[in-house]
Amino acid sequence: MTRPNTGEVDPQDGMAAEIKSYAIGFAVSLLLTLGAFTAAMSDISATMKVLLICIAALLQIVTHLRNFLHLSFSGEQSREDLLLVLFSVTLLAIMAGGTWYIMSDLSDRMHTSHEGTTHSFKSN
Amino acid sequence: MNEATSPIFGNLNWQVTPYTDLLRDVNSSTIVGAGAASVLVLGTIAGVALLTYMRWWGPLYRNWLTSPDAKKIGIMYIALALIMLARGIIEGFVMRTHQATALGTLAQQESGLVAPDHFAQLFSTHGTIMIFFVAMPLLIGLINFVLPQQLGARDMAFPVVNQVSLGLTTVGAALVMISLLIGKFGTGGWTMYPPYTGIEYSPGEGVDYWLWAILISGIGSTLTGMNFAVTIFKERAPGMHFMRMPLFCWTSLCVAIMMIYAMPALTVSSAMLALDRYAGFHFFTNEAGGNMMNYANIFWMFGHPEVYILILPAFGVFSEISSTYSGKRLYGYTSLVIASMSIAVISFTVWLHHFFTMGQSAGVNIAFGIATMIIGIPTGVKIYDWMATMWRGRVRITAPIVYLTGFFLLFVIGGLSGIILANPSIDYQVHNSTFLVAHFHNVIIPGVLYGMLAGIHYWFPKAFGFRLDEAWGRRTAFLFVGGFVFTFLPLYVLGLMGMPRRSPTFQNPDFMPWMYIAGFGAVLMLCALTSLFWTFWTSYRNRLALAVPGGDPWNGSTLEWSTPAPAPEWTFPRIPHVQARHDWGETKRSNDPWRAPKQYCDIEMPSNTPHGLLIAGASFCFAFAMVWHIWWLAILSFLAVPGLIALRGMMIIEPKIIKAAEVEEADCRFRQQVANLSAVTRADEETSRNRGVPDVSEFAG
Repeated sequence: MTRPNTGEVDPQDGMAAEIKSYAIGFAVSLLLTLGAFTAAMSDISATMKVLLICIAALLQIVTHLRNFLHLSFSGEQSREDLLLVLFSVTLLAIMAGGTWYIMSDLSDRMHTSHEGTTHSFKSN
Repeated sequence: MNEATSPIFGNLNWQVTPYTDLLRDVNSSTIVGAGAASVLVLGTIAGVALLTYMRWWGPLYRNWLTSPDAKKIGIMYIALALIMLARGIIEGFVMRTHQATALGTLAQQESGLVAPDHFAQLFSTHGTIMIFFVAMPLLIGLINFVLPQQLGARDMAFPVVNQVSLGLTTVGAALVMISLLIGKFGTGGWTMYPPYTGIEYSPGEGVDYWLWAILISGIGSTLTGMNFAVTIFKERAPGMHFMRMPLFCWTSLCVAIMMIYAMPALTVSSAMLALDRYAGFHFFTNEAGGNMMNYANIFWMFGHPEVYILILPAFGVFSEISSTYSGKRLYGYTSLVIASMSIAVISFTVWLHHFFTMGQSAGVNIAFGIATMIIGIPTGVKIYDWMATMWRGRVRITAPIVYLTGFFLLFVIGGLSGIILANPSIDYQVHNSTFLVAHFHNVIIPGVLYGMLAGIHYWFPKAFGFRLDEAWGRRTAFLFVGGFVFTFLPLYVLGLMGMPRRSPTFQNPDFMPWMYIAGFGAVLMLCALTSLFWTFWTSYRNRLALAVPGGDPWNGSTLEWSTPAPAPEWTFPRIPHVQARHDWGETKRSNDPWRAPKQYCDIEMPSNTPHGLLIAGASFCFAFAMVWHIWWLAILSFLAVPGLIALRGMMIIEPKIIKAAEVEEADCRFRQQVANLSAVTRADEETSRNRGVPDVSEFAG
């Protein structure tokens, strides 16, 4: 197998280790997906469901980055990988936070506490 | 759509073509519709006939459609964009003609060339085409062609993914094209805001054509962005540090980053709307908890970075040409790099200014208004840098410099009207008026279109081995500048007079003089389009006189000018070792730049593959089947895509090896040719004495 992103053969790394890493990633992703579905179909409160699904999603992102995309914070690639993660997190925070900011403000001004309708956004 | 869906043909039947409308009711609108469909049909037949008559099918398949060479893929992107540009400009002309005849009266409110519904299709397709299938392919094509050559790389990091991206973009363009003949396009504008575009108010195929065109070409653009980013990070020649990259590479990096993070937002909003329309979801419906405001939110989260995706490559082109044609080094390299990166990041923080009037509180509006004004600063820095680059330079007024001058004069007006619109209280007055239409055309035409056309003119010799005719190039540039001024500056006035955008009719006779001026401008734009194609044709006919085998017709300073024109498949005989920021220029300064490398070795290139073509074919069948509810075909072609990917994954693919002897032979021939050609001074650059070998002693960049 080759070192990440170089095309140079890495004598330390064998095909078996590579496949093992992918297999672990696949198994963990599968478990987390099943866990999210179980949470969604169980009888726990809606807040708990959302919380559990969010945690499962975040863990799955980490798994994908680590096992499939070979991101690591040690080794020669670590600085670039760290910058990549920080930049992505910044942009995602801008997008998600901005959406929260805009949509909750709109929701307030739409008087969503009005009776008889259902609402997708709650400001609280 | 009244009949039941057929299990074999879905909703397709013989009633869906514009000819049915023409037979039912003959008027100017149905004639225009049927005429457009006929142009599509006849154009396709003519194209097929030409390819068959010239026996070009084989060469087309072997040398172009299956080639993973980034240079060829770039040229194909640009060819696609020019075809779509022709349709987009003609549509713009039809709309201007319509509005020039659309003065209604109280008794007869609707008049004009086309029916209101037809007009709505026109502005929807015009916007969709110009953004997604003209501007995007132009810039992606130009980056594909130039970026590897400037970085000192032989190809993109993922050549086959590149091919797939081109295929997916073409599928999107083909869907929009085929909607001329089969069925109708959506009427919701290029943004397709729900709930109007939901299934309740827009049944039928129109919005679905848009959705699938956007979803499929959007995936292609995301892949392209990743490809560019990896290429820039991993494929630079040894010694090509980040701060030695030409500015076009820097803006390409910004574009790549923005594509990676912005395009998925568009995919998400379109996928949610598709779920609403196909699967009875309620993301954006009026009832059942839908929230259509979130569509605008997610769409513009993509839409605003998209604006800068479009403009930044043009900024890169202007950086290159302002330096080369002034014979001066680029002024303020570092400030231009910082400005580009700032634009790339800030562009993610301003999206709300596209919906200031949606109802959020003033605090939210002003936060985004301030961010919008801030993004004007790095753009201003760049304009000053280019002007300083040209200051006291020996500027040659070539076609790209005419575009650049037009850009300076007009883009600043467009940028300033943008700063005006960034103020929410002013936006409340002029939003949704033709003032806004004038503003965004005023940034996109002088910015993107002029930049891309200047870039095509600049790098054309590198692609085909001969220069474009300067006289016709300048005429085209002047026509595009004049056409823009006459078409769009009146729209500022009309907007301030209160004319809403996208209105098929109006009752105020005071609008008419401005409408006629804008209509005249549209005629100029058509002339500019014709002149553009004539430039290509006349240059092709004069290609022997315009040939530049030496490969460096403009006395450039970046790596791509060190190779022959047209550049060979492998681009560089040996990957260069970069010593300085303007490496080719520094070589010219120090010693004989055309020294042969000491030795040659075998070169490994990706082998040709029909993979991209097959994926594109399957995606087109899938999208077309989804639009017309032909479920069996949709399922089959959807499964075909992962099937094709898996199949390629299981094949052993041998790269193409180009023997050292072959490279050496071609390279020695090139160097011999350069040695035999006489060097040309700047004064003779436009004459046929320019054989692509410049007078190195004149180099000052």
